[in-house]
Amino acid sequence: MTIETPIDLNTTTADKVVDARGAACPGPLLEAKKGMGNVPVGGVIEIWSSDPVTKTDIGAWSGKVGHTYLGHLEAIGYDRVFVRREK
Amino acid sequence: MADNEKLVFMVTHGPNDPELATIPFVMAVAALAADVQVAMGFQGDAVRLVRRGEAERIEAAGFPPLGKLLNDLRELGGSLLVCKPCLVSRNIDDAEGLIDGAEVVAAARFVAEVTSSTQTLVY
Repeated sequence: MTIETPIDLNTTTADKVVDARGAACPGPLLEAKKGMGNVPVGGVIEIWSSDPVTKTDIGAWSGKVGHTYLGHLEAIGYDRVFVRREK
Repeated sequence: MADNEKLVFMVTHGPNDPELATIPFVMAVAALAADVQVAMGFQGDAVRLVRRGEAERIEAAGFPPLGKLLNDLRELGGSLLVCKPCLVSRNIDDAEGLIDGAEVVAAARFVAEVTSSTQTLVY
């Protein structure tokens, strides 16, 4: 898993935002995969999830498929998870 | 699919154990999302999971409904292999009773899938 630092996620603009709040594993992961198809190479997808495990799951998935996990921000009741498409 | 990786999930629990019936589907969908090929093998009471309408009735606490996972799995290209003798012993008509995409097989096919896989997980 590649984690780039430093990066200010608060100023990062996602090319695609996926709202997977309320979905249980593997729902957010599947939504991320589907959403990535609408993100250009080099672009960023942002996944919203109320499942606290999603951020580590998305991190593992990113490393497996060759994307870059950028990190997450905590919002009220959910996490905002950022991944950059690499291929 | 990347790197020709393939996971085989052997499922042996049926509707009477919703959690153990669901977990291999969760794992399989996660694998497919990571571009890993998946074959699911249903043996014993698990063959009931691929009867028409059965998955829609199963939802384990904390997990997505099995019907949704099954649809996701098929949409992502996972294969469904069903044990013929297990159907016979339960009087399930494989021609009419199974969901679309389910393939009825016997031991040699399971052996071929397992020996050609990267890993096999048994549930």
